Amino acid sequence: MSDQDQKCTCNEQPLVPTVVEVIDIIDRTPDVKSFFVKNVDGNGVPFNVAPGQLAMVSHVPVGEGMFSCTWQEEQEHLEFAIKRVGLLTDELHQIEVGQKIGVRGPYGNGFPVEECKGKDMVFIAGGIGLAPLRSFIKYCFKHREDYGKITILYGSRSSADLCFKEELFDLWPKQSNTEVFVTIDNPEEGWDGHVGFVPSYLEEVSPSPNGAIAVTCGPPIMIKFVLKSLEKMGFTDEQVITTLEMRMKCGIGKCGRCNIGSEYVCLDGPVYYLKQLRDLPPEW
Amino acid sequence: MKEITNKIQEIASRLLQEGQVDVFLAWEQGGEAFQTRPYFARTVEEAKNLVFNEYSIHNIANSLLKFRDGQEKIGVVAKGCDSRGIVRLMEDNQISRDRLYIIGIPCPGMKDPLIAARNHSGFNKANESEEGIAKKCRDCIQPNPVIYDELIGEEVAPHFEGERFAKVREIEAMSPDERYKFFEDTLSTCIRCYACRQVCVACDCRTCIFDEMKPQWVGRENNTTDNMMYHIVKASHMAGRCIECGECERVCPVNIPLMVINQKLIKDVDEFFGPYEAGMKYEEGVKPALSMYKEDDPDNFL
Amino acid sequence: MKVLSKEKLQTAFNKLNEGAEVFVPMQKGTQSGFHPWKSFESDKDALMLDALNVYLPPKNVVFPQTEKMYSIKQKGVEINIDETFENYDPTIIFGARGCDIKGILAMDDVFLTKGYEDSFYKARRQNNTIIANACYESGPNCFCSSMEVNPTDPAGADVIIRDTGKEYVWETKTEKGEAVTAVIADLLEEKEVKLPEAKPFKQNVDYDGVAEKLKGMFEHPMWDKLAEPCVNCGMCTYVCPSCYCFDIQVKMWGDEGYRFRCWDSCMYEEYTREAGGGNPRGAAKERFRNRFLHKLEFFKERYDTPLCTGCGRCIAVCPNGINIIKIIEQVKEAEINE
Repeated sequence: MSDQDQKCTCNEQPLVPTVVEVIDIIDRTPDVKSFFVKNVDGNGVPFNVAPGQLAMVSHVPVGEGMFSCTWQEEQEHLEFAIKRVGLLTDELHQIEVGQKIGVRGPYGNGFPVEECKGKDMVFIAGGIGLAPLRSFIKYCFKHREDYGKITILYGSRSSADLCFKEELFDLWPKQSNTEVFVTIDNPEEGWDGHVGFVPSYLEEVSPSPNGAIAVTCGPPIMIKFVLKSLEKMGFTDEQVITTLEMRMKCGIGKCGRCNIGSEYVCLDGPVYYLKQLRDLPPEW
Repeated sequence: MKEITNKIQEIASRLLQEGQVDVFLAWEQGGEAFQTRPYFARTVEEAKNLVFNEYSIHNIANSLLKFRDGQEKIGVVAKGCDSRGIVRLMEDNQISRDRLYIIGIPCPGMKDPLIAARNHSGFNKANESEEGIAKKCRDCIQPNPVIYDELIGEEVAPHFEGERFAKVREIEAMSPDERYKFFEDTLSTCIRCYACRQVCVACDCRTCIFDEMKPQWVGRENNTTDNMMYHIVKASHMAGRCIECGECERVCPVNIPLMVINQKLIKDVDEFFGPYEAGMKYEEGVKPALSMYKEDDPDNFL
Repeated sequence: MKVLSKEKLQTAFNKLNEGAEVFVPMQKGTQSGFHPWKSFESDKDALMLDALNVYLPPKNVVFPQTEKMYSIKQKGVEINIDETFENYDPTIIFGARGCDIKGILAMDDVFLTKGYEDSFYKARRQNNTIIANACYESGPNCFCSSMEVNPTDPAGADVIIRDTGKEYVWETKTEKGEAVTAVIADLLEEKEVKLPEAKPFKQNVDYDGVAEKLKGMFEHPMWDKLAEPCVNCGMCTYVCPSCYCFDIQVKMWGDEGYRFRCWDSCMYEEYTREAGGGNPRGAAKERFRNRFLHKLEFFKERYDTPLCTGCGRCIAVCPNGINIIKIIEQVKEAEINE
């Protein structure tokens, strides 16, 4: 992969987290918060991440969980956008600025940002699935001249559940040669945007597959139908990228549970071309 | 036993042929005689693989749990312990009577295939005796099926002889310190493989408390504290529900005397809330002793 | 050749135990496994060096079932991770069979290669010496020679001992082996003895091409039938010399505690259950299939060697008579409709 690819900095003890300080917390939606962390001495971050890489966030006395870590242009802090779904995330949502937490990483391969250069990019996300894609999108805008047309299609259950609204409605649509499409599942008072599920909206928008790469992330059911729509629209398996979610504990390809066939998603993934996934057992 | 096998194959073939059942649960012969294991026949052809032999010891009622979400009609062979297991599952609404066609077999007492497997393995220096029937069968008070649609063979007398709760009384008579030591010693060897839970016909929870992570009730360290916690919690869930089939103790790879714990609960439930013996008969709407509350229930042990 | 008389065995254990913790196969109460020599009670326990093998493999010496990783202290919003618990204490596994050493070599592949070295495993393994007990006679469930193990000359051994009846031929293989040999040098005699002859295997298992064939058998209907008797307990995984999957958890008492890892089992539903509730291997059959494919196909694809070492333990312990040899045979015989 690219020179952006980062290896875990805690190589001597890859399972032991580094303690960092939470410097800011932003409510993204009623159940998604972004946590910004920095080294406890206030200087920089324990490691840099490439777009699409993961890191283990440890609310030390409670537990650890693997999350996508947002790529930052200036690597001054780490950001994790975390949805409240379970025990650990419930607890994380209750912490306040100043809390010390643990992080270890970065893990995983990240998006093939170099291979995609020169292509039109189609990003398709649902719900919290925008978090990993956002890194790639930010990277594209930072290196705007390296990529062709950028199409972003994003949906969530309701308008309140849309993450990163500032970027969606303000920052990204202003970028050159860029279109942003937003949809919500059900009609809502005060919403004059598109209503409907992501896959059908995708077919409506119908970005051209010529010289394009589609990148998708979202709930499994959405991904399933998005893949079908992309196929219908003429995208080949080499033109589709997705990032997988499996339960992970170690992050370094040892503990076993995130395997799909002989692949460990934490180490070999989480980003795969659809072509690679077709060769694996259908357990994703 | 050959006759019983023939009879089972005949009945299973008939039921499958006539479409009275979709699947028939009994045993098949593994590589070695003692590797007899549960087998689910779905066709007349597969029914030819069914056997009933001296190693058909597993509580096959446990296999019914694999079908609890389905609609299939199920033929099932039931020894005494299996039939009590079936009653247990019906009482817990895990499977309904009208889905079952039960072939009862008065049990002559089985051999323990795991003892045979251990002796066969070469890993066991002090060869265990394979003479006679398995411990769980020697302790059995109910070899005859308590519920069935067809019975193969004649009813037999209980295999158990002697004083039923002798070992429990022995432990009850210990001082608290001695008793603690006894349980500490026996439970510290547990490797937490959960085989005792998995083979248990009373363990029919969809999400077991030990797999529950929100909150996590029992730690997963393999140490005496967490092992004891596991066994105490498991045992208390067995109260009034254990049908004394002895499978947990039989399959334990480190030979923990789990039935002593279960028997203590059987004895207590019977004394406090009884007379009660779990899974002895099925009456629709009748609840097990600990599934109902009475104003005059004793609470002096609290 | 160097020879250790069996009469001097216990003296040798005592000597070796001065500089390292020595783990010896023994029957201890109701359990047989590799236990510390210092815990041996001659009136209660029995040495199992002349048995085919013991129930619990020696993997816990380098990969304990529960292993503390680091301490945690919290005070208000402050968190301290002051201490990590890599264990560098020297250990000796005395009398391991080839299959069990192969299990440790497989764990070496997992924990020490592919990008990251696991510091906890590495610490124990670096200071671990393996004295192998060469096998000349196979048991009824043994098929190690089909799984890339040489029972009479096992790879990974630092010393190999060969049982001639009255004594052990003592063969030093590595530098680590030389160090332990030096400790008991005065107990060894120089003597020519006749080496035992290897007897043929009772089981012939043909693993050739199985990994490759399995690649096309993920959806094969045989898995439904094979998985039916399985009760999804974790016994096969816990007695397996090569199963290495683990969980990471935390234990806190008030503001202090530690994070630890412990063996986990792919047979448990909870193992792959995601926080949001999804589970890629929620069905019992899927877990069963994953276990056998991991042993026979996936590991081979990733590390170029099977993860099953042919020790036969899972066959001996399975409460429902599931037999991996029969599964391999069935894979060989299976017809694949492409």
